Order: sequence, then structure tokens, then C-alpha cells
Amino acid sequence: MTLVITVKNVANGATVRMETEPEERIGEIIESAAEYWKKDPGAYVLKKGKTLLSASSTIDESGIIGNDILELIPDPEGGST
Amino acid sequence: MLRAGADRFNRMRMIEFLDLDAIHECRCLVVGAGALGNEVVKDLVLSGFRYITLVDHDVISRSNLSRCLFFREKDVGSVKKARAIASRARSIDPDARVRPNISRIQFVDMSDHDIILGCVDNIDARIHINSHARFLSIPYIDGATYGLRGKVQTVLSDGPCLQCAMNRTHVKQMERHFSCSGDDVFVTPIPSDITTTAVIAGMMVREAMKIVSGRSDLCSRDMCYYDGEKGTTELLDVPVDPTCPNHGGD
Repeated sequence: MTLVITVKNVANGATVRMETEPEERIGEIIESAAEYWKKDPGAYVLKKGKTLLSASSTIDESGIIGNDILELIPDPEGGST
Repeated sequence: MLRAGADRFNRMRMIEFLDLDAIHECRCLVVGAGALGNEVVKDLVLSGFRYITLVDHDVISRSNLSRCLFFREKDVGSVKKARAIASRARSIDPDARVRPNISRIQFVDMSDHDIILGCVDNIDARIHINSHARFLSIPYIDGATYGLRGKVQTVLSDGPCLQCAMNRTHVKQMERHFSCSGDDVFVTPIPSDITTTAVIAGMMVREAMKIVSGRSDLCSRDMCYYDGEKGTTELLDVPVDPTCPNHGGD
């Protein structure tokens, strides 16, 4: 059963609607969204509310339902330079 | 009678949960002596930490000067970051013993330390520290910045670790290491200013103070995410990833 979710780019507020399958992994959603927005090089994570979603979990395992809004945020990496 | 001001920590002793004796005795390992490392060492020394090993192999560059308290114009191009911090930290507190280790973290024995604070600028080093700290059961506090954003994650012997929150974009980022000077140099896509760095460093050292004072229960066990554009701090739950190599996965 296809689920339609919304992924929000927190950097600019843009959103994209994505069709997903329950067995699709969160890691694939992260990569697809980062590529869609041609994001700056860097690492990104996806959160739903106050929970970071595990890349290895599926849509189903993550408890995501249709019309959920997920947020793509940069995972900070700097500190030393 | 103790003269007012005779003990530089007499105000801090009024904070009930702090165990200043434990803080004085704690052996800290700080990895990275850049902007975040400068702020972290400053906060550690002011907070009463006295035994600090600081690991960094790099030399001070001019762009460091806008964000690094311990660096001076005359240091540019010749002085190792860790040495500059180590020598000047003592001017804050003469009892502080900051020992520079001019090396990469991959060559450092972490086992002689009670706590590790990560101030590095790349995922490779984070993964290395994270896995070794977990293996050695040494608390690890990781800090990172990205423009006006930053995060702090505390890794203890149980619960999630840094790798639990990683994915393919982290792997791709590791593969983007490139050299601009012949050395293995990594350039962060978006550098941070001193205000963001100071916020993240303060949060890291406060976590260290809790742990060393025996109050790990007060720690932010998940990811504390700071957004300086919005002026918000959010605590994000990080689920343990069963496929994480530090949690029995592949």
C-alpha cells in the first residue's frame, strides 16, 4: 500500500510530497530528499516530531502513516577548523 | 575564616550537584583544538577541570583567529594548536595541566582518561572516538557545528551512540575528504561563528560536569540540537539502531 508523506527542508521551509512503500527504508528517503533539493555536501538526518528516524528502519517500523510530515535537517559536522 | 575570594570556586560550590573534588581529579581527553576545542578547554579550566590531554596535529592558521581565544597573530603558520592552548590555559588557572598531544586521534591511547570530549570536524574521527569510547566504557560527549546550527550528543555505555543516528549521507560525506595543501585536509562546507561554537562548547562542558559529579541521570542522552537561526534548542530522541556495529549489528 503506497503512503504519501511530506518531507520538509528545514533550511528553507520547502516541502516535497513523496510516495513511499511501507517496506522502504528511512535511509532511502533521506538520500532521495537530499538529492531532490541538491543539498550542500554534508550529512542529513530525518526527524518526525522529536524523534530522529533510524536509517535502517522501514517506514512501517518507524510508525509513519499517510500525510505525516518529516523534517530533513543537517547533521552538524564541524568544530575544529 | 576563609577570605572572600580566596577560593576561586567558592561560588561554584554553591551549586549543589557539582562535585568539585571529582572535577579537579578528572582526567579529560579533548580531541580537536580548533574553534570548539578552544572554547571547550576554556570552559573546562574555568569549571575546575585540571587534568586535560588535548589532541590535535594541526598548525594555527589566520582564519582561526576570529574564533579561537587562545591563538595569537604571531602563532599563525608555525605554532601547533594544541601547544598554544596548553601553554595559555594555565594563565586562566595555574593549577590547570593541559598536556598537548600532537597527533591524530587514531594514534592515541584513550584508555587513560575518565571522559572524552570530541571537538572534531569530520565523521571519520567521530566514528573512531565513538566506537573506542563505547568499547572502553568511557563517557563521550560529542559536539559539532554547522553554520548557526550545532548539536551535542552524550554517549554512555548504554543507550544510543553516534553511529545509531548515521546513514548513507554520512558515508558519502566521509568519501568527500579532499586535500587543498597536500595534507589530508577536510574543509567543512559551512563554517561556524564564535557564538554558535560557544553555545555548543558550554553545553558539552556542562554535560561533563554532570557526569563527573555522578549525575549522569541529568545528561541529555539523545541529540541536543541547537538552531541559532530560530534561537531554539530541541532534544531529539535517538533510537538504538540494531544494525549499528556498536550495538551488535553489522
